[in-house]
Amino acid sequence: MKTIKSYKLLAAALSAVLAFTMLSACGGNGNGGDSAAKQDGDSSASSGGVKELSLFIDAPWYPVKEWKGPVAEKITEKTGVKLNVTVATDDKQLPLMIASGDLPDLVFTYANIDRLSDSKLSYPWNELIEKYAPDFKIDKTRIAIHTMDDGNFYTVRNSFATQEEMAQNKYSIGSDGHPGIAVREDILKELGNPPIQSLDDFVKVLGMVKQKHPEMVPLVLDKEWVEQYFMQQFGTEALIDGWYERDSKIDYAIRQPKMLEYFKFMNSLYRNGYILAENFAFANDQIDDQYVTSGKAFAHGYTVSAAEADNNKIKSNGGAFTLKMLPSALSKDAKAVSTGLGFAGTFITKKNKDPEASIKFIQYLASDEGKKLTMFGVEGEHWTWNEAGYPNLKYDPSDADFVNGNGIKWWYLYNDGVTEGMLSYVPGAQKTQALMETKAITTYKPAIGLIQTQPDSKEKTLKTKIDEMIKNEKVKIYLAKSEEEAVANYENMVKTAENMGLQQLVDWANETYQKKKSLFE
Amino acid sequence: MDLDAQFTRTADHGGQQHQLWKRFKKQKVLHVFVGLGMIFLLIFSYTPMFGILMAFKDYSISNGIKGIFTSEWVGLRYFDEFIHDYQFATIVRNTLVLSLLKVIFAFPAPILLAILLNEVKNMAFKRFVQTISYLPHFISWVVVVGVSYAFLSADVGMVNRALVETGLIDKPLNILTSPNYFWGLAVGSAIWKEMGWWTIIFLAAITGINPSLYEAAEMDGAGRLARIRYITLPGIRGTIVVVLVLTIGSILGGGLVGSNFEQAYLYGNSINNPTSEIVQTYAFKVGLSDGRFSYAAAIDLIQSVISVILIFSSNFIAKRVSGSSLF
Repeated sequence: MKTIKSYKLLAAALSAVLAFTMLSACGGNGNGGDSAAKQDGDSSASSGGVKELSLFIDAPWYPVKEWKGPVAEKITEKTGVKLNVTVATDDKQLPLMIASGDLPDLVFTYANIDRLSDSKLSYPWNELIEKYAPDFKIDKTRIAIHTMDDGNFYTVRNSFATQEEMAQNKYSIGSDGHPGIAVREDILKELGNPPIQSLDDFVKVLGMVKQKHPEMVPLVLDKEWVEQYFMQQFGTEALIDGWYERDSKIDYAIRQPKMLEYFKFMNSLYRNGYILAENFAFANDQIDDQYVTSGKAFAHGYTVSAAEADNNKIKSNGGAFTLKMLPSALSKDAKAVSTGLGFAGTFITKKNKDPEASIKFIQYLASDEGKKLTMFGVEGEHWTWNEAGYPNLKYDPSDADFVNGNGIKWWYLYNDGVTEGMLSYVPGAQKTQALMETKAITTYKPAIGLIQTQPDSKEKTLKTKIDEMIKNEKVKIYLAKSEEEAVANYENMVKTAENMGLQQLVDWANETYQKKKSLFE
Repeated sequence: MDLDAQFTRTADHGGQQHQLWKRFKKQKVLHVFVGLGMIFLLIFSYTPMFGILMAFKDYSISNGIKGIFTSEWVGLRYFDEFIHDYQFATIVRNTLVLSLLKVIFAFPAPILLAILLNEVKNMAFKRFVQTISYLPHFISWVVVVGVSYAFLSADVGMVNRALVETGLIDKPLNILTSPNYFWGLAVGSAIWKEMGWWTIIFLAAITGINPSLYEAAEMDGAGRLARIRYITLPGIRGTIVVVLVLTIGSILGGGLVGSNFEQAYLYGNSINNPTSEIVQTYAFKVGLSDGRFSYAAAIDLIQSVISVILIFSSNFIAKRVSGSSLF
């Protein structure tokens, strides 16, 4: 009898434990985000009047992950706002957070601007400015660019400058976000310093490298910078998923006449063994750097900062070789068209616990003082103003460790292309040279950037599908076994896009363009 | 007479009810366990099913959960869209081929290993093999894929290095970045990871076979293969059928060894996409990256319907053919 009783007791206790663990496990799964959010909320009123806001940065590669360093401290001192930063682990995290309604106070994103520009998810800046910061003035062009169909604007992207602004500021030469290729100086010397003045020269040198150093990869490309440099050389006017203008008509980038030439060229690089097939499947943006810094690659396709960034890393690894930039223009056709409306923008979400502090925080970042502080660092400590119109930097802006360690540039939750463009102006630097060459071949057509699909619209769905198809199909062109196959794959890609309704999308784009281009006139 | 009969029936009925209640009381501890399982199913499997509604509606995530009920009906629009997608045929083919290959190769593997292990007489060796073979089960796919890169990468992978340096091949194999190798890679790595784990079930079944059968067969002069064929295999037939039915029920997820999604997502890249894109990864992409939840729900629903059909038909066939079945 006793044993039965104790058995029952044990069974009851066991089932209670089971039920408890089950429920607590579920609770943990479902509400992990909530409890974290609550924690943020609780700590917001701490430390002597400094408000803490949570910020989500929708960029897994973001180099600063914490609100610390002299720049962040100075911003907190000026605004009374401190940020609790979370950097995305992958590009699906923000969409998931939107889906679960688990948004922080602020979101900084470039990939989800259209999705967050929605009155259900974010506060319109125009409302907040009217209510809390009536003296926060934003110029008409920027407002026009960001105004959605509902008449509100929810963010203003950084890194944007109009053609006039760029023309007026000759020391503003652009950001790192321009393509460039760096090559090994020692190997070039070993080959007898053959001149590289054209794409043909470059290809010839790659061939020489392959012959002389079969163990090396002649050219390795960063996964985000596979296309840009060579497209620029062929004079294409838009990247592969963009719009370009011909005789004041808009068409989709893949139908540009020069696109096929570009694809044939890339395919020949692969067929000759100058780039690895794996390069088109690199899982992250560190692999190319490892090839270069470990001395396994001859040329590195990345941004205009490639040579200086690589040299810094090689030096700190104890390597004994250096790289130098190729000219930004390697052919007479070289052309860069800036249709950019800027890079990323900050959103004040509907979950924000202090919209007033948030918009005032952004207002400070948008002031001349705020822009220089975020972009160059603390005045006096990091830079002094040169009367000619640019900052005399006390550090090397290509020294990523220093820049990231001090939080320089990356808190540009609001900024502009002119200020950012000055950060690159270091007389004598390779990047400065590359950027000045790029600026010389750049034309500005921001009106094209206004062709933006609205969230949940059928154009957005169609464009997403076509872009996804192109992403899959273009690899088949790059890796085709013969030029004929590459051409056939290219034609097939264009045909598939047309079957999917490309023309419909192009018609819509033309209509939008005609309606909106007057903003810039 | 009529009344009498009715009375007796009610009494019977009452008696039955009483009996039932008595039995229930006796088993109440067991019922608590069953009840917990049922509550779990109800909360986590049945309740979320109302979300299926969105496959038939023009739902946008910004409308919240309420939007699932309030948004506009669109009928089969999303089903139609998926069927007319340019990749539809490829995606469905990849899903089916990958799943079938896993049933064909991954299902017999643990049975074979269990039989082989059963024939090993050296206990220490047997335990060693068993432990080694089931350990990979506990490694997550993310880690497995990471390790595969170190082994199989065309440029730095150990396997390719070894093959090239011993002169077996001239050029490294693009195992990770070629559509031709993806299916083999997926099936092979799934077998490596899960075979040992499933062997446990079959070994347990073999242990249940009466040893006197083997002794009798040996006396009758049956050799090793004959004993396997006439005693071991028939002895574990029930287990094999149950596991097979379960396998076919989850076939589109990869069956016994599972992990179709993890493999396609982690091993998948833009180069092997023509063979690695499957229904689940596609639904994941359009659902989460593009935020098209209705469309993703419709795609997954199509897959679920296929799965249900498969599990019922395999169960039916199993019942007919072998006499044992799941339900």
